[in-house]
Amino acid sequence: MGWALPLTMVLYTLGLMHSIIGFYRKRQIFISAALGMVGCGFASHTLFLTLLGLRVHHLPITNLSESLSFFAWCITLTFIVAHLRYRINVLGAFVLPLVSLLMILSESIWEGNHTIPPLLRSRWLYFHSSVAFLAYAAFSLTFVSAVLYLIQEKELKTKNFRFLYFRLPSLQVCDELLRRSLYAGFVLMSLTIMTGALWAQQAWGRFWSWDPKETASLVTWAIYLVLVNYRLSASWRGRWASYISIAGFVSMLFTFGINKGLHTYL
Amino acid sequence: MTRPSGCGDGMLNLVIVGLNHRTAELDIRERAAFSAAELPMALKRMTQQPGIKEGMIISTCNRVELLCHAEKPETGINALEAFLSESCETPAEELKSHLYRHVGDQAVRHVFRVASSLDSMILGEAQILGQMKSFYGIAVGASTVGYRLNSLIQAAFHTAKRVRAETGIGEFSVSASSAAVELARKIFGDLSAKRILIIGSGKMGETAARHMASSGASCIRVTNRNPEKAQNLAARFQGEAVPFENLAWWVARSDIVIASTGSQDMLIDRSMAQAAIRERRNAPIVFIDISVPRNVDPAVGAIDNVFCYDVDDLGAVVEANLGERRRAAKLAEKIIEEEVQAFCARLRSHDVGPMVAQLQGKIEEICWIELQRFIKRAGPRNERETQELESMASRIARKIAHPLVMQLRAAHHSPTRQEAYLDAIKRIFKL
Repeated sequence: MGWALPLTMVLYTLGLMHSIIGFYRKRQIFISAALGMVGCGFASHTLFLTLLGLRVHHLPITNLSESLSFFAWCITLTFIVAHLRYRINVLGAFVLPLVSLLMILSESIWEGNHTIPPLLRSRWLYFHSSVAFLAYAAFSLTFVSAVLYLIQEKELKTKNFRFLYFRLPSLQVCDELLRRSLYAGFVLMSLTIMTGALWAQQAWGRFWSWDPKETASLVTWAIYLVLVNYRLSASWRGRWASYISIAGFVSMLFTFGINKGLHTYL
Repeated sequence: MTRPSGCGDGMLNLVIVGLNHRTAELDIRERAAFSAAELPMALKRMTQQPGIKEGMIISTCNRVELLCHAEKPETGINALEAFLSESCETPAEELKSHLYRHVGDQAVRHVFRVASSLDSMILGEAQILGQMKSFYGIAVGASTVGYRLNSLIQAAFHTAKRVRAETGIGEFSVSASSAAVELARKIFGDLSAKRILIIGSGKMGETAARHMASSGASCIRVTNRNPEKAQNLAARFQGEAVPFENLAWWVARSDIVIASTGSQDMLIDRSMAQAAIRERRNAPIVFIDISVPRNVDPAVGAIDNVFCYDVDDLGAVVEANLGERRRAAKLAEKIIEEEVQAFCARLRSHDVGPMVAQLQGKIEEICWIELQRFIKRAGPRNERETQELESMASRIARKIAHPLVMQLRAAHHSPTRQEAYLDAIKRIFKL
């Protein structure tokens, strides 16, 4: 099992490098190569997480380093799905740095054997935490598409027909990716909060205790609720939708990072 | 014997004499051009010139090129120049200053560059490859091309395809109307199911709309102060003419609005665009204003989800695209250099054939002479012994020749090394 993690890191890094070269030189062959490498890296990452899970008899998201690794896995999954669906060649150059960063962070704080807090020895972990990470990954994609949209919109509005104009996808594609990932993320986030409440009821005897992580996730959820609502009712799109997506992403990172109160274990 | 660097003997005899938009004015090009009807005869006459073995003519509005495989390059060039001066009825002295001449690998490089559209007036335009294909077809029909030109032209087509695929040189539109399509694509992605409104009946507006229609736009509406003109234009697009009085209503129901009128007024102002975007529930709208003076208030571009481009902006896109083409051309030159080397190396490895045969013959000859000498001195052998000795002699000959031939063939990647080997073998074995 010792080889699976280094192999994953190498493949992700190679995939990132090829994505950036493909972005810079606009050559399809590099993009395809990058997708292949990320795909293999994802397979090896999956194997690594599976073997780790089998060894500790648990879903390996019980401390911060494992969580970061799992988060990276979720983002890669959404990236592969989005790439196959929308064929946005530049996506890799923007999403994969995030994956690499998470993997490096995860690796640098890795501890071989840690004791799993008794609270996390629960079936709820599968439903609550893994869904939470999938929601985070979907929102990360929303964030990236919002950034792409804003950059391309600026190039088009300021009539700056240069490097980025030639490389970034059309506004329509950015908007579509933003919409889809937003809806997916929102559904998953709602599920996370619901399963969290049920778990809290079992573990602590209360559905909701206003601990910092709960509060932060509610704020994040509310930001995305506003966006989804206006998107559906008043067709908010483009620049303002992008700004709110970015605000939601910042709030989401805060939610991920805050582990105080009852959620003190990562 | 010394050989010139670059391509081998066979290659050196490829000769091009030509003129193009850079070396000759239009009136000279017109005189030099061959019409499609007279080409087969011209090809026949060209290849009947002394010293010309194979020939092909490329004649477009921007260039006339005579390609041939000659027995000797100098005589080939002279024959071609004489032929061209005769066929365009222009004195050789006058013509000379407009002509360029390429020989050997220079000629190969030139053909590759022309096919890849690096030598074109509009860098990277796609037509030249098709034109070359048809001129090649005519030459094949007149049976004036043989092995050398065939392989040269096939390699040129291969190179052109590689350049197109690997540099994307043709992807950047360089006309104003295709730039409009490109901008719309950057906003809408796919243009199918997009609704287009043409205001006015200007020529450029029509061209732009035609480009959009060929990119998949399905619904085209035309409006004009003069309903009759609108009807006429709409008929040409199988579109629909709509009344000019309801302009605002139709603008709100269009994704791309192309204004191309002679009107002096602002037909679309900020408030109309704002109302349209509200009615469209923020779905983006693109105004392409090709009229001078402008018909769309440039201030509409400041509204969210409204994009407005005028003639100058389209010009800026074209300029930027030309820049990208020039950048792609730099990469293309590298590809061409690679292909020129590969092509020369391929021809070279064909060239070693006769040398290999000579070498094998020489070694076999030595073995055979020694065998005869042995039999003479040692007295006659019986049949079985003679057979054994003969097969031994030929085995020795093969085993000596084999590594030499292998080295010679293996060196085909590097023309200079192969050159050195050929030279060495020639000297050592006195071939």
